[in-house]
Amino acid sequence: MRVKLTSVAEAASLVSSGDTVAVGGSLLRRQPLALARELVRQEVRDLTLLTWASSLATDLLVGAGCVRAWEGIYVGMWWQGAAPNFRRAVERGEVAVTDHSESVMTAKFRAAAMGLPFLPVKPIRGTSMSERDDVRSVTCPYTGVELHATAAARADSTILHAYAGDEFGNIVWPAHRDSDDEDLIMAAGSRRLVVSVERIIPHSEGVRRPNLTYIPHTKVAAVCEAPFGAYPGSCDTIYDEDEAELERWVAAGKREGGFDAYLAETVRDVADHEAYLDAVGRERLTSLEVKRG
Amino acid sequence: MAEATRNELMAFAISEVLRDGELVFVGVGTSGRAFTLAVGVPLVAARLAQLRHAPDLDIYWGNLLSPDLSEVPERLTQDAITRWPGAHAPADVGSKVDMLVRGEFDVSFESAAQIDRYGNLNITRIGVGETPTVRLVGCLAQPEHLAFVRRPIIVADLSSRVFVEKVDYVTSFGYGDGVRTRESLGYDGGGPELVVTDMALFDFTPSGRMRLTSLYPGVTLGDVLSRMSFEPDIVEGLTESPGVPESALRAIREEIDPTNALLRV
Repeated sequence: MRVKLTSVAEAASLVSSGDTVAVGGSLLRRQPLALARELVRQEVRDLTLLTWASSLATDLLVGAGCVRAWEGIYVGMWWQGAAPNFRRAVERGEVAVTDHSESVMTAKFRAAAMGLPFLPVKPIRGTSMSERDDVRSVTCPYTGVELHATAAARADSTILHAYAGDEFGNIVWPAHRDSDDEDLIMAAGSRRLVVSVERIIPHSEGVRRPNLTYIPHTKVAAVCEAPFGAYPGSCDTIYDEDEAELERWVAAGKREGGFDAYLAETVRDVADHEAYLDAVGRERLTSLEVKRG
Repeated sequence: MAEATRNELMAFAISEVLRDGELVFVGVGTSGRAFTLAVGVPLVAARLAQLRHAPDLDIYWGNLLSPDLSEVPERLTQDAITRWPGAHAPADVGSKVDMLVRGEFDVSFESAAQIDRYGNLNITRIGVGETPTVRLVGCLAQPEHLAFVRRPIIVADLSSRVFVEKVDYVTSFGYGDGVRTRESLGYDGGGPELVVTDMALFDFTPSGRMRLTSLYPGVTLGDVLSRMSFEPDIVEGLTESPGVPESALRAIREEIDPTNALLRV
């Protein structure tokens, strides 16, 4: 084991312009926003994003002009409706979209995790997705049944936000959590994995329950500490989403040019994640914390 | 007791077709009316069926099997969802997707931005050009629902923007177009069973065409047709939907949804 603890900025610098990036989290949960904001500050461009149900991270990166393409099952703001920047960019043809259903997207991440170039999936015939040319037919060599094939997710880098981890990059989840996501599968299939965590814990704490280390240090390229790193979304068991700030985000995104001002205020004119938390206000952040245990 | 609301009529109609021993899937919905249609009405229907005739009906709500629905908080924050009591949540959501593809669900509930004559659904994009005129959310697992759930039920308010002759994008394949059918594509059964709306109930003919089967009390045929962009088949001897029995109304109002958290809007 070697120390992989870096600053948020150093961790984000492992993602390069032009990369295909798998982005973790689901709906408003555990969106890797501290890392995404840093990608905006570093002026990364031309990313292709691969996501499960994504919200804030995709909308932020698209709104900042960092993204050229997206593949996944969903982009939206959950309770708040459409993701405004993503929606506008797609309608203008600025971001290319490849829609996948959940079983296909799961198979893509699993194929990567298994080291396979593709996986067969049960065909969902007759849909607009299944008739695209990236969907191929494959015949089961045992039964002769015709299946569909989907190529493995080939992410150059993967960014996740997580609950806790040690300085070596052993990433720990709580025994009780919201498990409605595919972060574990994304991590397993990653090639350059960058993880922000709510807090860095002593190695001696994690080793007592090794089965709660869902991502081992061998997989991790860099780990950084980013408390409230999914704000204004939530990190289940630690804090809830900030509804007022989500509304402000959506309102800014809906106005032509409105998101540039929002980005200047919350990202570009803010030195780093710590300065952002100071600007939001520690009291406001504390009020979002949920009861532990 | 006051007359049944449209939401109660919808929930009762659904509860009547749910059977003992079935496993039903309910999504986690968003907010406002969309929440009522995707979550509120289906959950009330499933609970009502459990109380009245299907004690062993099982519910999978979002990522949670057999959720405790005895108390539904008014606001579903992340923490309320994290701490919701239930029998099981999978280690990752891929396992639930596997259950879907394996055909382990009997019933699911679907809403969509566009629904066509043949029960095909679109939740992905409006517009048929290179770029969409309106980008919607994506696909989620709705394609799997219509492919692999035995009896999906469509739950939607009647609107001529929603009920269209042909969807712009086939997110989810219902019965195709009369030429390309489920059978010709190799599906083994399935397909939407009912369309439960705020004014009337529909099913599908053997060739997969949407068919009006009954009108809610006080609703006319004209009311319904003026809110659809295509003229559906109409069952012979079109009748008024049965009202909600008082015992069912009492169960909904006093036991299942006393705070009106599920059927508010």
